[in-house]
Amino acid sequence: MRNENGVKQDTSTTNDTTKPESSESDDFTPRYLDAAQLTFTRSEVGTARLEIQDEVCHLRVVVRRLMPLSNPDGYISIAADEDTEIGIIANPSELTPRSQKILREELDKRYFTPTIQKVYRVKEQFGIHEWEVQTERGRITFSVRGLNQNIKQVPPARLFVVDVQGNRYDIPDYRELDAQSYLQIQRHL
Amino acid sequence: MTTADTPTGTLDALPDSLKETLQNLDTPIEQIRFAVRSDVRSDGNYGEEWFVLTEAAIFTVTGEGEVLHYIPYKSVLGIRPEIVVDAGLLVLETEEGTVDLIRYSNGCASKFGFVARFIGDEVEFRNGKRDEAPIWDYKSEDHACKSCGLPLPDEFSPCPACTKKHKVMLRILSYIKPYRGRASLFIALIIVGTLISLVPQYFNRILIDDILQLNNLVTPPADTQLTWLAELFRRIQPATVALAIAIGTLLAAQIISSIFAIFQGRLAAWLTFRISANIRSHVYQHLHNLSIRFFDKRTTGTVISHITEDSERLQDFMLEGLSFLAVQVFLFFGIGGILFWMNWKLACFILIPIPIIVFGAGWFWKKVRSLWHRAWRRRSKLFDVVNDSVSGIRVVRAFGQQRGEVNRFADANIDARDYETNAEMIWATYYPPLMSAIQLGSLIVWYVGGLDVLTGTMSLGTLMTFHGYLMRFYEPMRYISPLINWASRSMTAAERLFEVIDSQPEQLDDGNLKAMPNITGEVKFHNVTFGYDSHKPVLRDINLHVQPGEMIGLVGHSGAGKSTLINLICRFYTPDSGQLDIDGEDIRQINLKDLRQQIGVVLQDPYLFSGTIAENIAYAHPDASMEDIITAAKAANAHEFIVKFPDGYDTEVGERGGSLSGGERQRVSIARAILHNPRILILDEATSSVDVETEKKIQQAIDRLVQNRTTFAIAHRLSTLRNADRLFVIEKGKGVECGSHEELMEQQGIYYKLVETQREAANIRAQAQAVER
Repeated sequence: MRNENGVKQDTSTTNDTTKPESSESDDFTPRYLDAAQLTFTRSEVGTARLEIQDEVCHLRVVVRRLMPLSNPDGYISIAADEDTEIGIIANPSELTPRSQKILREELDKRYFTPTIQKVYRVKEQFGIHEWEVQTERGRITFSVRGLNQNIKQVPPARLFVVDVQGNRYDIPDYRELDAQSYLQIQRHL
Repeated sequence: MTTADTPTGTLDALPDSLKETLQNLDTPIEQIRFAVRSDVRSDGNYGEEWFVLTEAAIFTVTGEGEVLHYIPYKSVLGIRPEIVVDAGLLVLETEEGTVDLIRYSNGCASKFGFVARFIGDEVEFRNGKRDEAPIWDYKSEDHACKSCGLPLPDEFSPCPACTKKHKVMLRILSYIKPYRGRASLFIALIIVGTLISLVPQYFNRILIDDILQLNNLVTPPADTQLTWLAELFRRIQPATVALAIAIGTLLAAQIISSIFAIFQGRLAAWLTFRISANIRSHVYQHLHNLSIRFFDKRTTGTVISHITEDSERLQDFMLEGLSFLAVQVFLFFGIGGILFWMNWKLACFILIPIPIIVFGAGWFWKKVRSLWHRAWRRRSKLFDVVNDSVSGIRVVRAFGQQRGEVNRFADANIDARDYETNAEMIWATYYPPLMSAIQLGSLIVWYVGGLDVLTGTMSLGTLMTFHGYLMRFYEPMRYISPLINWASRSMTAAERLFEVIDSQPEQLDDGNLKAMPNITGEVKFHNVTFGYDSHKPVLRDINLHVQPGEMIGLVGHSGAGKSTLINLICRFYTPDSGQLDIDGEDIRQINLKDLRQQIGVVLQDPYLFSGTIAENIAYAHPDASMEDIITAAKAANAHEFIVKFPDGYDTEVGERGGSLSGGERQRVSIARAILHNPRILILDEATSSVDVETEKKIQQAIDRLVQNRTTFAIAHRLSTLRNADRLFVIEKGKGVECGSHEELMEQQGIYYKLVETQREAANIRAQAQAVER
């Protein structure tokens, strides 16, 4: 609750002190972008373009989640390049549907981590566990070495599985998997 | 435009069907230089997408042949792999703007990283920013077993599939070889001891059937006089004698059996600790010969647990598990044999409950074990909470969070309670029925055997003995499952130990390498590129020629690649491309022992080993004389504080040098480097984190140390580098400026900016003068 109040306050202050240059901000107040003034579009070459009304148009923005695990849909940082933050969108659902769609696509591009929806089987051979799973990005088989080090649990029931190539897979809540999937992974928990 | 050789086939081969589709496009494709396959499509789903480079264009195409991007090679300004969360994205800078070209999973990262580097270099070469065309030197970073293709963590690891478990067992046995005499004796003791332990049970039958039923008296001869002897004969009945003999035999069997057990146990201890100590020292010895890369991939904790925990686990199993297993297996077949020999019909009945016992026990142990494991994890988490908040008790108090900490503990506590209760309750529920199942066999024997006794086809003693053996027969089956687990875990521990032993060691003194006992210290980097993962280069195209005795200051932001440069000079790693020469000889060709003996290092946080100050100074030369040590300490400005210690040079520095202050440790480590007398000296942030007064002393010591040695010094505080002959400025892995302080100040480039921002520019000369005075 307290957090939300704080956000509102900050937004209002940034609105009052309308600053012409956004990228060169040398004060330490985070800048919250007003969703009403933002328009995401696709450029001809397919990059995400952001226009801030009456201010500036960025040809390619970098989007990042501030809380990718606990709040993936809120608090999105928008940057002009890897290092220069433009501002933060606290609540992207206030954007126009078209802008939201582009923002979602960009987030998807930057946050690949597939979510495991179903576990078909986990087969162990010589200390390497072969997982066959269904993710939202399709069905895939991957190998995990030494389960203890490569399955990380985020309390209470979120699991991250890291395969031998360094890809990470997400199980947001293993208790909500179907019975067969749960059976496959349960003995490794 | 000249392009470098791009041998096809070293990357992915474009399928013929796709090639055909591409040739049939409106604008036909020219000669394909290479193609790379991605496993992620542009919509983010798994699938196939191709990156293709032809003579005149870069394009991407789906697995079905639909062209997604078509970009003239001419318009490409730059290319870079962008690291996104859990995947990669190849980004192209063109004259028209930035293009997000192709997505790929981490499995393809090294391929695309290489392609980006190659194309980037080629573009720079084309624009005249680079002198040489890039060389196609792609090597796959996926490590897989050469014989079976199983993925491996790094190039050092042996394949777990090709080192079979029974081979592991054989290897453990090979450590027994030196003690084969005692080992055979041990096995003999087990066999004989077990046989003897079976004797008492057999005597039960004789006791019951033959002796306890002798009730007829022996009448003494009538014609003899009633002497005391006859009286004795009259009283002692044969049954009593037989009974005494039988009991005596039982007692003897018991005594002999326990004597055997004593020898067996002592021998087991003798053998096990010798074998595991041998394995341990073999592993440890090997560990010190491994390449630094081996340690990069593993945490210190893992390496330490290799030597301690794994060998301990193996040892426990060999000491208790192995002899227990041997005895049980022997008992199983031994008793089984006796039972069938005694009464084969009855013996057949006892086999009935075996499947129930084996599978029931197996299921039970598996369940209980995983429950206990979970409970154990909860408990260790509880300890973590305690550890966390007690170590941070000041912070907790300062922020007034006692209540929160207590709640955090309470949550973990309840969690642990519930899991432990659950585990114990499951145990309590399933253990009694399991035991009953084992009793089932005995009931069958009582019934079937009892019928035989009633009909007189079997004696009571036989039945009793049979039943006695039966209990020992079932015994091993109860423990078979945990025992198998124990065995397999120990085998895994053994495997991990052997993994260290089997890892490829660094070539310390291969006969083919050039011996260079006296180097002059000339160091030359020629187009050196290197990255810890070769698709993420940390250093790019480094060119630097250092004369013997020259002092080079390495300058750059943190993460620019300064320490990496030094790691290459120490040959902890070798360049991915380009060449690093020492005295005109490729560093890869120099005998490592010779090289390292002539390199000295002074680090930011000097590592001292537990031992005395004198021992630490003489670390690289344990036979150094006391005079040498004192000279070194004096030159390092260390002598003055060492003499003030009550124990002088014999002062114990404690673990990691804990009893000395930072500045003192640093001076001891400089003395160590001075005594080592290296040709090439490396100073990595040697004077940071000490106060100004101490820094001055250390600086003086360093000034003496660098005399006549090729020196590479890293320092964030640029004033430290005032004595450097030249400064080499590294920016994002590239050497951008090189020259003396004055030259670089004049250039007003990156170095100039660094000096300005540190606001120490004015101090540099002033401090130098102060020191000179």
